[in-house]
Amino acid sequence: MAETLRASTNRVLRNPVAFSIVLSLLIGAAIIAATGTNPLLAYSEMVRGALTGSGLRNTVSRMIPIVGMALAISIPFRAGVINLGGEGQMVIGGLAGTLAAIYLPLPPVLVIPLALVAGMVAGALWALLPAIGQTALKLPILISSLLLNYPARALTGYMVRFPFADPTVTSSSTVPVPESNRIPKLALFDGVSASLVLLILLLIGVALFNLRTVPGYETRMTGLNSRFSRYGGVAVDRQVVWVMLASGGIAGMIGTHLVVGETYRFLDGDLVVSGFAWSGLLVALLARHRPGPMLAAGAFFAALQIGGLAMQRNVNVPWQIAQVLQAVVIIMIAGRFVLKARRETAAVIEGETTVTGEV
Amino acid sequence: MSVNAPELELRGITKRFPGVLANDRIDLTVKTGAIHAIVGENGAGKTTLMSILYGLVQPDQGEIRVRGELVRFSSALDAIGAGLGMVHQAFKLFPTLTVAENVVYRNEPKKGWFIDRDAAEAGVRKLADSFGLGIDPKARVEDLPVGVLQRVEIVKALYRDARVLILDEPTAVLAPQERDGLFVIMRRLKAAGRTILFVTHKLNEVMAVSDRVTVLRSGRVMADLKTSETSPKAISKLMTGRDIEAVARPSLGNGGEHLLRVNDLGVVDDAGLVRLDRVSFEVQAGEILGIAAVAGNGQSELIDALTGLKPASSGSISLNGVDITQAEPAQRRLAGLAYVPEDRHRVGTAAGGEVWSNLLMGYQRTPKFRRGRWLRGTAVKEHARELIAQYDVRVGSENTLVGTLSGGNLQKLVVAREMTHPAELLIADQPTRGVDIGAIQFLHRRLLEYRDQGRGILLISAELSELLALSNRILVMYEGRIVAEFDAASTDEAELGIYMTGGHLAGAVHG
Repeated sequence: MAETLRASTNRVLRNPVAFSIVLSLLIGAAIIAATGTNPLLAYSEMVRGALTGSGLRNTVSRMIPIVGMALAISIPFRAGVINLGGEGQMVIGGLAGTLAAIYLPLPPVLVIPLALVAGMVAGALWALLPAIGQTALKLPILISSLLLNYPARALTGYMVRFPFADPTVTSSSTVPVPESNRIPKLALFDGVSASLVLLILLLIGVALFNLRTVPGYETRMTGLNSRFSRYGGVAVDRQVVWVMLASGGIAGMIGTHLVVGETYRFLDGDLVVSGFAWSGLLVALLARHRPGPMLAAGAFFAALQIGGLAMQRNVNVPWQIAQVLQAVVIIMIAGRFVLKARRETAAVIEGETTVTGEV
Repeated sequence: MSVNAPELELRGITKRFPGVLANDRIDLTVKTGAIHAIVGENGAGKTTLMSILYGLVQPDQGEIRVRGELVRFSSALDAIGAGLGMVHQAFKLFPTLTVAENVVYRNEPKKGWFIDRDAAEAGVRKLADSFGLGIDPKARVEDLPVGVLQRVEIVKALYRDARVLILDEPTAVLAPQERDGLFVIMRRLKAAGRTILFVTHKLNEVMAVSDRVTVLRSGRVMADLKTSETSPKAISKLMTGRDIEAVARPSLGNGGEHLLRVNDLGVVDDAGLVRLDRVSFEVQAGEILGIAAVAGNGQSELIDALTGLKPASSGSISLNGVDITQAEPAQRRLAGLAYVPEDRHRVGTAAGGEVWSNLLMGYQRTPKFRRGRWLRGTAVKEHARELIAQYDVRVGSENTLVGTLSGGNLQKLVVAREMTHPAELLIADQPTRGVDIGAIQFLHRRLLEYRDQGRGILLISAELSELLALSNRILVMYEGRIVAEFDAASTDEAELGIYMTGGHLAGAVHG
């Protein structure tokens, strides 16, 4: 009995993710204790706040945009393209989707899907700009996609302040989406948005694409070694355009969901303050672009964030502790992966020199 | 320290790496103020010997004397301390720093706690000017062309008071004009009493600048000659004179039909230098056409242009009667081109991928392995297992990561993949490099079978014996041009060697 317990403890500690989570919880406990609160109490409040009652719904609701943005970012990432413009694509898509949901004179059965499509198209077009910049002008996507977040915010801010402003409110926002045109709630998790179904379908779709299709294979090989891909006949430039379109499309859809499924008004800056795009980026990195682990990591981060708020409410420990925990987990896991990768490379190099070393 | 002692004296230097005797009892004496050339083929032991001399590698046996004094270098710092300086093939400079900052690195003139930038720049300028190097101490290294970087490396060595400069294949990266400039500098250094060890395999350069030449082959010194008393032909024979393995002279399969036609193909690089100069040739069905060239003489550019990895600047290429000059790599593969790249790590494989995914590359859009957009997983894995068995690739399974394979196994994997394509033409760039003897014979048999099926092979190899054994015809490239064509049956390594090293131009360079 003691043997099996020790064995399983060892197994957990050797898993980098589990190890990092355990260690970061210990570090968090030390910080909480330093503020004069019992860490066990704080943690139990956190768990209760994240997983019980309306907390569970909030956690799942928060998970949707985090995992969605992780998915959006993972598609180009896997092909070696770093899209840091998720936020801008989400905002632009969100506005386009919202406007479609407000103004399309069609029955709701059509309006809701069309709003999501409008969000996807707008987000994809915004993502197309850096893709063209890289393929045609050798402008790195890493930089241009990041910089395009600012004009995206400015543009949507202008739109909701002037052409599409709701004159009846003081905040810069659109009029609310008509009740009939909102994304419905599920009976699940105390009324979570139906977008959850869409997200699950997307995750399955991306997983199948990655593992089972020819383009999925080709994008992975490009991510591993783009020269090899080119040599093997993959049109790498065209691939860059496609993965960016897919990425921007998903981001735009998530933006649409956040308004048409959650807040119902596009409020300037609202989609940006929660930092979904950045949480999503971290989740994608942690899960190394695999859809299954992305769902798990996204749920964990969402629970940390929602639980952190509950902890602040109930035992007066600042919710930033949750952010500290999140950061520690990431640093630990990143460190473990780097060490592992370095060890592997060293082994390869050693093997190589004995065979081909120029003498 | 005795007055008449030679600048450098190496006695009985021996170095063994696993499976190779890299240096075998090497003796070398270099006189003060001489330009001493070290020549040999790839793998002759030049690099190992220079690494030992510069303290980067420790010899198993033997001793080194610098101006009569016995020394033992445990690192390059010791060698620098003894007055040696090395200019590596790949320059070791900080691109974002200035020339002066690079030169004074680790020996910075100081003013209090700070670097005395003015003194550094003045010192570097004075040193550079005294040898006519013509470099600006304030220039940023990343903005400088390769030829100037090399002079920065030379100044760096001189700044550390190097009496002996080791130049490791310094002309490999230079255009012909830049090379002549380097020779002028080398003669000035010699006039100032510095000693130069000049590692090369281009014989016209040996004839042009050196006083003495030491020829290495298979880790041994074959000869130590006075340059003025020898000839390129004699040196070439000493360099390459190993016994050629007897192989039945291949015959042309169903010859006459032109598979590949290359017309006036030219490549100009980003710096505007001509790397490939109007090259024309054909490969016929049932033929192995060999290309013999020392690295950096345009063969890489030729292959990149043929495979579509970098565009050609002029001329045309047709394969099986289809013009592929502007085609994408994928279209070229469809037109019937397979390619074993020289750089199996950076081009030929993806280290992070599994054996199966590496073996699939290039086939992923063929009907055998896909149904619409879906990959046929079972067929893919089965294909991988077949190739592993056929080519005796030593791996755990088709799911093993390629990054864990040894060099020879990796090469077998790449060759297996490319030779299995139903392509009419195979471009094989160094197909047997780093592979053990048994595997080499196996791969040679495969290449001959490929040809016997009426397909064509363009074979590029640094091993002349391999070219001679397998090819029907051999083209020799030198400085971006085809300088000679031979029937493989009626030439030999010595003759090829002369053309490859520009030996046929030696007279002209001298005058």
